[in-house]
Amino acid sequence: MIVTIILCVPLILAALAVLVKRSRAIGIINTVGYAVILAVSLWLVQGIINGGAPVILGSFFYIDALSAFFIFLIALINLSSSLYSIGYLAAETQEGLITERKTSAYYVLYNLFAFAMFFVTVVSNLGIMWVAIEMTTLISAFLVGFDNTKKSIEAAWKYIIICSAGIALALFGTILLYYTVAQHGGINSLNWTEVLAVASKLDPQVMKVVFLFILVGYGTKAGLAPMHTWLPDAHSQALSPVSALLSGVLLKTAFYAILRFTIIVNKSVPASFTQELFIIFGILSLGIAAAFILVQKDIKRLLAYSSVEHIGIISVGFGFAGIFGVYGALFHIFNHAITKSLMFLGAGIVAKNYKTTNLHIIKGVISVMPFTGVILILGAFALAGAPPFSVFFSEMMILVAGFHQGSYLASILFLLFMVIIFGAITYHFSRIIFGSKPAAVTSVYEPVTIKIALGLLFALILIVGLSVPTFFNKLILSVVEIIKG
Amino acid sequence: MWLDVLLFGLLITSFMLVVAKRISALINYFTLQSLALFLLMLILAYGHTGVKLYLVAGLIFLLKVVLIPFFLKRIMRKIKVEENVGFFVNPVISVLIALVLVYLSYAFTTKLLHITETLAQGAFSVAISIIFIGMFLMISRIKALVQIVGLLVMENGLFLAAISVSGGMPFLVEVVIFFDILVSVVILELFVYKINNAFEHIDSNKLKGLQG
Repeated sequence: MIVTIILCVPLILAALAVLVKRSRAIGIINTVGYAVILAVSLWLVQGIINGGAPVILGSFFYIDALSAFFIFLIALINLSSSLYSIGYLAAETQEGLITERKTSAYYVLYNLFAFAMFFVTVVSNLGIMWVAIEMTTLISAFLVGFDNTKKSIEAAWKYIIICSAGIALALFGTILLYYTVAQHGGINSLNWTEVLAVASKLDPQVMKVVFLFILVGYGTKAGLAPMHTWLPDAHSQALSPVSALLSGVLLKTAFYAILRFTIIVNKSVPASFTQELFIIFGILSLGIAAAFILVQKDIKRLLAYSSVEHIGIISVGFGFAGIFGVYGALFHIFNHAITKSLMFLGAGIVAKNYKTTNLHIIKGVISVMPFTGVILILGAFALAGAPPFSVFFSEMMILVAGFHQGSYLASILFLLFMVIIFGAITYHFSRIIFGSKPAAVTSVYEPVTIKIALGLLFALILIVGLSVPTFFNKLILSVVEIIKG
Repeated sequence: MWLDVLLFGLLITSFMLVVAKRISALINYFTLQSLALFLLMLILAYGHTGVKLYLVAGLIFLLKVVLIPFFLKRIMRKIKVEENVGFFVNPVISVLIALVLVYLSYAFTTKLLHITETLAQGAFSVAISIIFIGMFLMISRIKALVQIVGLLVMENGLFLAAISVSGGMPFLVEVVIFFDILVSVVILELFVYKINNAFEHIDSNKLKGLQG
């Protein structure tokens, strides 16, 4: 029932986008649709944290707390992004960048993209999950190349080729898993519950290889360095509401797949194997992101590299493990999603008004657009990890986990890169927010839907930072249970 | 016996792909490789009960021997692409690298995975070789079309791996993966058109608008 609603609403919305002619109307319908999905996902979460068993439909769908966590996240970011899209697309149409007809193409793709992401989180078969992840790439490639400019086509091409090659490796990992499940587990199945049941019997040597292929394969899609090279291009060239989705939730969907495999692998191989790999890739991502954020000239590329950084933090969190590490990493998945979408949405409207994404040209945002300016500077502090915003708390948890587990070198590197990135992000953003207002910007476009979307996300960052809502805390704790096995 | 011959054929066609200088030759060798994969599947299907494997074999034939080569040739005609694949790495060194990849794949299968069953061992090491050779093609050739072929070659390797594992993956999974491959080829083709329209070439090494 719940699954049906969550999967059907995006499809219905996609169909409506074709039928309804006026783009503003489609935008409003879309937003209402995602509000419905968000409500349903909260209902689902409520059922699961109150001791509800995982929802199983046939052998096809399987939804436990881990899935519910990601469904909630995808619904939330999609809601704010579609609210924002109304005003953003209106501006694009007014400037003649896209036609009315292209608006409906946008909403069709937008909803199919959301459908594919939801599908990843609810499907039980690990082979079908692979297909769903590949589908997210194929659909979002059109959203990346939506402008049809040289740059956006180049970004879309790199995105689709690198991610397809990457996740071909993940498919090989899945096939190897199937091999050992058939050979040593004695069943021919890729269904989550069945694989999990025989997980302890699987060949440890093969499972290590499986995990390597999965981590490199899905890690490419998740934006872990050094496989991240497509990410800054794709995330900076997409329309801003889409950038928010790509950075906010698409990366996490790939990470969801890695987590599913980690749970299985940890049952046959000592957990230190997966944890060390998580730490290595995580620290590498942090280091590379720090270097590129320092010298960045483009606001959207800056935010994209910051996504590489945060995926690194999440990975390190799962690597440090323990209750603090895993809780911190999950909490960080959520915090990064809301903070990064806020920043992409804010940067999008700034770039729209200044007609550039160059950090050296954008100046005095706070005097041009006071509302967005205030939100952006506070958001930049939140993103960089300043208290009292939520990102700070999840990062602290991960750091505590690191010292607690005795991973001193990794913890110190983690802290070092965090400090560098904190400096770089606050420096870049204070330069664009303050300063004198350029003469070129005359009329300001800042519609109310965009203000609401930004305001809502900002309120969330603040609220979750001050105190984690009880239901959300319970949800994360039950996900921690699942991941720790 | 026939299985060994076909496995050998799959490996030989990979080397032919590596030395191919013209894109049309590349597509032909890919078709040949897919044909070998189809025959291999057919023989395996003959040994199994049930029609499932025949269906998978039929899908391989339809998609990888007929439809996809047709799509690729059509796009070549339409954008009148220059025939040269454009080597980043010259053919001789490419062959040497491919040889090393094959050896590593064999070592990987026997030492790391402990697969000892003779057929599975052969099939698996050939499969992994093809996957890596496909990947190598993607990164060592200039033309965007070659990258599509490279991806398809990787997928041939994946299919070989899948069918050498106890008679293939669950049927539903295989069918969906086939569908996915078809969709991705169509979409990639579309993007090659777009690149050609926007840049008037399809040289991936000249796509340098986005850096840093």
